[in-house]
Amino acid sequence: MYRVPQLTRLATTGARIVTSSARGQQTAAAPEKIEVFIDGKKVLVEPGMTILQACALVGVDIPRFCYHDRLSIAGNCRMCLVEVEKSIKPVASCAMPVMKGMRVKTDSPLTKKAREGVMEFLLVNHPLDCPICDQGGECDLQDQSMGFGSDRGRHQNQYDGKRAVEDKNMGPLVKTSMNRCIQCTRCIRFANEVAGVPDLGSTGRGNDMQIGTYVDKFFASELSGNVIDLCPVGALTNKPYSFMARPWETRKTESVDVMDALGSNIVISHRTGEVMRIIPRMNDDVNEEWISDKTRFVTDGLKRQRLLAPMIKEGGQLKQVDWEEALYVVARKLRQTPADQIAGVAGGLVDTEALVALKDLLNRFNCENLYTEESFPTVNGGGIDLRTNYIMNDRIMGVEDSDALLLIGTNPRYEAPVFNARIRKSFIHYNLDVGLIGSPVDLTYDYDHVGTNAKALDDLLAGKGSFAEKLKSAKKPMVVVGAGVLQGPQGAALLAKVHQLADQLRSKQSDKSWKVVNVLQRVAGQVAALDIGYKPSVEALRDGKKSIKLLFLLGADEASVSRRDIGSDTFVVYQGHHGDAGAEIADVILPGAAYTEKESTYVNTEGRSQKTLPAVQPPGLARVDWKILRALSEIAGKALPYSSIQEMRQRLAQVAPHLTRYGEVQEANYLKQSMELTEKSSSAVNAELKPAQLELADFYMTNSITRASPTMAECVRAARKHQQNPHIEQPKRHTAASAM
Amino acid sequence: MLRTTSKLAHRALTASVQARAFSKDFHDEMAPIVRNRPDAAKKSLEDFVNPPGPKVESITLSGIRDEVMDIAGIPEEHVIQRRARVFRPAREATQTAWNNTKLWKIELDNRERWDNPLMGWSSTGDPLSNISMQLDFASKEDAIRFCVKNRWEYEVEEPKERQIKAKAYGANFSWNKRTRVGTK
Repeated sequence: MYRVPQLTRLATTGARIVTSSARGQQTAAAPEKIEVFIDGKKVLVEPGMTILQACALVGVDIPRFCYHDRLSIAGNCRMCLVEVEKSIKPVASCAMPVMKGMRVKTDSPLTKKAREGVMEFLLVNHPLDCPICDQGGECDLQDQSMGFGSDRGRHQNQYDGKRAVEDKNMGPLVKTSMNRCIQCTRCIRFANEVAGVPDLGSTGRGNDMQIGTYVDKFFASELSGNVIDLCPVGALTNKPYSFMARPWETRKTESVDVMDALGSNIVISHRTGEVMRIIPRMNDDVNEEWISDKTRFVTDGLKRQRLLAPMIKEGGQLKQVDWEEALYVVARKLRQTPADQIAGVAGGLVDTEALVALKDLLNRFNCENLYTEESFPTVNGGGIDLRTNYIMNDRIMGVEDSDALLLIGTNPRYEAPVFNARIRKSFIHYNLDVGLIGSPVDLTYDYDHVGTNAKALDDLLAGKGSFAEKLKSAKKPMVVVGAGVLQGPQGAALLAKVHQLADQLRSKQSDKSWKVVNVLQRVAGQVAALDIGYKPSVEALRDGKKSIKLLFLLGADEASVSRRDIGSDTFVVYQGHHGDAGAEIADVILPGAAYTEKESTYVNTEGRSQKTLPAVQPPGLARVDWKILRALSEIAGKALPYSSIQEMRQRLAQVAPHLTRYGEVQEANYLKQSMELTEKSSSAVNAELKPAQLELADFYMTNSITRASPTMAECVRAARKHQQNPHIEQPKRHTAASAM
Repeated sequence: MLRTTSKLAHRALTASVQARAFSKDFHDEMAPIVRNRPDAAKKSLEDFVNPPGPKVESITLSGIRDEVMDIAGIPEEHVIQRRARVFRPAREATQTAWNNTKLWKIELDNRERWDNPLMGWSSTGDPLSNISMQLDFASKEDAIRFCVKNRWEYEVEEPKERQIKAKAYGANFSWNKRTRVGTK
């Protein structure tokens, strides 16, 4: 008991330190580090850290179930008990702050005995179904019972029995097997703290404690899949992946996601040339260790609706041909068509290599008509010529340092779920103030709703309203504008207004590297396309001023250009991986590779170039995109000067050196010039700022891969049903059929 | 009859002993087994911990690397065309332990795999496909050296280090912060 007052004092100091360091107020002297001894090894730690964290600093892994690096401390599994000298009892290291001169023994007989005891209790109610459990082979309980458990237990099954818990139905993504639950409460904490959907909780006490939603309902979160990874046992598993593969059979390829513009780091598990599942890869700068449900469960979309062979339209019917024929037809068209009648349109999932190859190819035919489907204002503030205008200058990490955030016309919860989790983290831990201009949506945290119309920006500029005060007094304000509302004719004026506001806020900044203005892009390929020099928006093609006779669609699947816009005599070439809107209007189809099948570069919304690695081969006759374009160039008589990925990379570096500096953010400059180019007098903007994705059902299907995925379709259905009636009427039991 | 069997047995036994001793020359089958190291004696633990006599300095073999690869007989397609990635694997998101992230690994460019029609096992035509699972290196430099030795082009991927930020159990109960949890 004598420890208690000391403990509280330390705990509060620890909390204070978190806040101050988070704000980046480096003016305050760094607190003196405390010396502790872990297994006799000296380590200097920040005061307020727990013993478990101090052990992590010296590379000692303390066994644990309930503690998770990114969740609050629960301290209920007791697996992390360690011996501390001069302490009577073993100490739960996950919750105990370090104290000066503390001597921790993580491998002493007392510690071992304590772990063994805890493990025995945990195993009393844990079923022995490892052979049929999906977590088998990557189960913390399995591993830790091997490492720290006893070789026998005193549990007498015939007398005591094992606890039995009914499985819960949490929707189409998360499969439950609640007998296996050890009540670590990680999923509850994740739902409450990170996902911001406080649906999960515990009911009952002691042996009767159960985790669940109390009344069966869909776990309606865009981050719900992360509870599968969090669960240290097999209680929550991946429903579409259930009974598909074992972790030791699969190969793992470290790659990058393209479902949104964040570029979340992922690991692709694959076996026998088939993508089995996608799990997150830790990267504190981008996605911490979360990924969205779209990223995780899109895998079955990669196997359906694929374009497997080149095709040519004959008499209104697409006919399968071989590569040679298809390429000859396209090459002939390329040579015959006058340069000003050729155009290329790139979609949102296209990798940088293919973008560069297409641009080089068309440029060799003196054609400069290269557009992206996603549009962006080009007139104001230097438009896309200055990189500050279209990237997230203060970075994703910056939200944690920021103290006031204004979201304009974006719903980050569905446009970039992991970024939204970061905002929520900042909101909870670092007291971030959030304001929103745009449709009032559920962002999972409280915000000041400044207005739905862009006119609200004028009030903020004039300093009217309570949020204007907050922005003005903020040390590091951030303004994030969604790329969605910058589409259309009012986009330029809106961006100019945003720049004015940012400039006003910036003028009071002491830190000149803080840029305030940020754009949240919606698609993965956009920043790279703009970096290379594609023109955003296909307006030029649609208004009929240009008579295009050869249209090259590179993964353009959002139906931004339709047959009606271009006329029936235009020859349309579609290159991409899915039979979607683009392939529908095509005269020739060249099957390309999806992001899991090629080594390629993507630049995320903060301007960080990252690399995907091929996990599997492209299906059928499909080939890697830039290679198709390279082959086409040779047949068309103007061979591109690269034939290997290394040479391709050299070309990327020629075009823009940051494209090959993987993992790094290339900072954007010329902010001042951008401001000078912004029209000061700009006309008033009067537009309702409504992002495209307002509710959960809008989240799942946003690109050609997700539209092909049955799991995503099921999610949309579940989300709609959940909106009508959040509670599932008839409790559904897991059957073999539903499990598949 | 009995004699022949015992003789045969003896012969077989000698043969196996000889094979185990990696004896190269063929001895007469009845000759006694001669130890290669007549001075061999059981060493104590102390001999291993503090070996007597000076430690042999490492020997530098210059140029041997190139020659080995020239005569190694490795098909050219597994030397010139291969690209290695030197990296430290990420922590498994599904598990908490960090031990598997400490060593450096090499992974070669991924080649096609397929479902073997006989048993459904995974097949590949790439003899080097398993090296990322088998080879561990204590340092980045070691891994690079291995790539150079094998004449593979390589690129190094720096690992993402985790940041450990202080956090406190007390935050769950703080009365004036948003970290307070209502319920579990």
